[in-house]
Amino acid sequence: MACLSTSGRVAYGTRRQQTHKFLCQLFLNHSLRGHRHSSSLSTTPGFGTHRLSPQPLHFGFLSRRFHGLNINSGPAAVHMSKDYFDLLQNSHSANGSCGHNSRRSSHRSNNLQYSQCSKTNYRQHSSVHTQQPAGPVREIQIDPYIILDDELKYFYDDVRDLLQSGTSQSELDTIACYYFDGQGKALRPMVTMLMAKAINYHLNNDSHQLVHKQRQIALFSEMVHSASLVHDDVIDQSDFRRGKPSVNALWNHKKVTMAGDYILSIASIMIARLRSDDVTIVLSQILTDLVQGEFMQLGSRETENERFAHYLTKTYRKTASLIANALKATAVIAQADENVAEVAFQYGRNIGLAFQLVDDMLDFVSSTETMGKPTAADLKLGLATAPVLFACEKYPELNPMVMRRFSEPGDVERAFELVHKSHGLEQTRFLAKKHCNEAIRLAQELTESPYQKGLQVVADLVINRMK
Amino acid sequence: MYRASGLIMQQVRQRTPIQAMANKAAPALITFTWRLQQQQRGTATSSMSTSTKQTATPPPRHDWNRAVSEAERIVGYPTSFLSLRWLLSDEIANVALHLRKLVGSAHPLMKTAKHLLYNGKNTMQAWGLIVLLVSKAAGHAANIPDVEQDKSAGVLHSQRALAEVTEMIRISHLVHNSVVNLQSSTQAGQDAGTYDDMSFGNKIGLLTGDYLLGHSSAELANLRNQEVVELISSAVRDFSESEFIGERDEQNNPLPYKPGTFQMPSLNVGVDFNEHDVMAPMPIAQVLGNPEQEWECRNILNAGSLLGKSCQASLKLAGQSETMQRQAYRFGKHLALAWQACLDAEPFQCPTLPLDVTFSLVSAPVLFHLEHDPSLYAQLEKGKQSVENIDYDKVHKAILAGPALAKTKALQRKHTEAALSVLQHFPATDARQALENIILAMQDL
Repeated sequence: MACLSTSGRVAYGTRRQQTHKFLCQLFLNHSLRGHRHSSSLSTTPGFGTHRLSPQPLHFGFLSRRFHGLNINSGPAAVHMSKDYFDLLQNSHSANGSCGHNSRRSSHRSNNLQYSQCSKTNYRQHSSVHTQQPAGPVREIQIDPYIILDDELKYFYDDVRDLLQSGTSQSELDTIACYYFDGQGKALRPMVTMLMAKAINYHLNNDSHQLVHKQRQIALFSEMVHSASLVHDDVIDQSDFRRGKPSVNALWNHKKVTMAGDYILSIASIMIARLRSDDVTIVLSQILTDLVQGEFMQLGSRETENERFAHYLTKTYRKTASLIANALKATAVIAQADENVAEVAFQYGRNIGLAFQLVDDMLDFVSSTETMGKPTAADLKLGLATAPVLFACEKYPELNPMVMRRFSEPGDVERAFELVHKSHGLEQTRFLAKKHCNEAIRLAQELTESPYQKGLQVVADLVINRMK
Repeated sequence: MYRASGLIMQQVRQRTPIQAMANKAAPALITFTWRLQQQQRGTATSSMSTSTKQTATPPPRHDWNRAVSEAERIVGYPTSFLSLRWLLSDEIANVALHLRKLVGSAHPLMKTAKHLLYNGKNTMQAWGLIVLLVSKAAGHAANIPDVEQDKSAGVLHSQRALAEVTEMIRISHLVHNSVVNLQSSTQAGQDAGTYDDMSFGNKIGLLTGDYLLGHSSAELANLRNQEVVELISSAVRDFSESEFIGERDEQNNPLPYKPGTFQMPSLNVGVDFNEHDVMAPMPIAQVLGNPEQEWECRNILNAGSLLGKSCQASLKLAGQSETMQRQAYRFGKHLALAWQACLDAEPFQCPTLPLDVTFSLVSAPVLFHLEHDPSLYAQLEKGKQSVENIDYDKVHKAILAGPALAKTKALQRKHTEAALSVLQHFPATDARQALENIILAMQDL
């Protein structure tokens, strides 16, 4: 079960330390961001200001909206409470994975904003930081969408042009292009291009031709993702996606199915034209994984012990495999060695898993308006995601509901309530954080560059996103 | 990797299908296939008895079943093993488990599954076989290493894999095509009694089709020939494009254009794909309104493209010249079109339409008759919401009275002859002879 561990490379202790260091760092950054209006850096002398950006100017980036990824940048939102910090540390020492935290349930249930913390609190933790100064520091805040502007600017136009060039039927073209309206987060292409450029920098290769080929891989990742959305819409019969009517509400389901196949075939032609056997092999793995993930979601009777492993494998196949293999393909086409390709793959896998975990968590906390789809959608579909599975530990009464896929009246509401009562959401977030930290560690194995830094920023975006 | 799977297949082939399935311990699958067989046996015997009564002709010169089984012997290709192999995979066993819930429901997926499992002569089961025969007939370049050859069958391992991909893609299209439109505006979407069955059937059908597509793209990738990947992917594109042409009823069944829709004179000569750019779609707009050319285009997209492009790709794998590849494409295309014309003519072979039999409204006889007598469109117009509202008996009678059936027969002959003449470019071998026999048997069906 490859996706159970964040990575086999790091001894457990080191990882714990790193997480710890990272948390301190994060904590620090957040505190500073919160205080940037009221205080100068000199008021916090214990923080090792030489590591943090000496120019307050950089914090200005925080107020920018990241292409649909809202980071938690309001002064009230960024403060990390001592409670939360302790909680993370505690579950760390418990068993390293998402142990049970029943103490101090002062967490507000349906949002993850943290209460204000007092100055003494971070002073106290600042000493921890000075003892372990080497941590993942991103002193320059980079907006990945801005450094990739050249590649992403006409991204959706290019997808639409490509789809249009393959058919003479305007209705097919319309359905196929429906989700390429530029309203999505474009997370997959963004991460793919970041990794591509970080690898090119690492290999000291700045060929435009190579970047162009890597961009085709990014196109492929977004097209396959859309094709799967189109088919999911027919399967789930949901009426809305991304805040607009879903394809199955607007068009004949048979035509929608065919449009999904069409997107896939055009994407395959495009990849075949890169004329790289290995890239095609790596990318074709995505398709088999996606379908196997769907089959796993169809329901099987696994025991309580197997359930979490089943969930993680499914998450890998449905979400992480796409990112992991697309990133690996960018390394393969750059003729990087196996180690670099593996770093790319593992980075993508961890980001993908974290992304989906946060997604599953947001399904319980976000409002319909921000997500563009109804809340608790997973429960309504009968799916038990990480928050529910964690909550089962505290409330065993959830087990029979999971088994019957929340099919009886009142199940969805009751499960929703119990998840909020338990620490399921915090634990899910913690697990996602672990994967993000691992992704950051992997990114650091590449030569330092703005893109390599961007990869680390992405990990933060993934964990802090609100929609 | 493919070779390993080939070994497994050989082992599987030595056992009987039921034993092999029992070893996999998929009891649900067995009961499922068994039930289907029971159902088919029922339908098969009844249709056989009616057909003997009606035809009572002397035995045909060319027997279809014999032609196919002899051809299978030549390339060592029992048609059943393909289906057997993917029937044995976990996902499909899972699907079979779910399909069992659908037995007895009216979901079209059941009909498709039945057609696929039952090797009747009405379904062209033999696409993979054709690809292999063409491969063997053409032979391969001298520089292909020995390990890549299946010496006993005279084809390359990669060509065998391609034949399998061809069948998987075709089946995935059939399965995806059995998805029911459940939009809230449609009848099927409003029928609360069957809605759950239908939506569940859609889910299974969609995933099964995707599973086949995903696996075929993985197998294609392992062939390590990007031109082949490009070509076969474009055949998938053609399949999906074919479902968008012209007017459609609620369930996406095709309807002919109203006579006189096209003011511009349409081309009298057939159009085909741009051979230098597989991305370029079929320029179908140029021929709309001309019954024969329009029919040809629709069916190239629907059938000829995959068979033709697979034959072409197979010769590409063998390192054959561009000219030979082109011939192989033409052979596959014409064979598929001849076959389609034969299928189109079938409902019109008897003086009255058999009970529960319908025909496509864009089949060759209907299009030819509309050209001859545009007033038939008044009958067909009733099918705008659902083609089931059409009085098929009346349309059948009208068409039989006109020249459409004779024109359809001529169309079939035209493509049969074209396929046979392309075959003359291939060296005379047992494989070529087998292909000729299949074509002649088809003409006599």
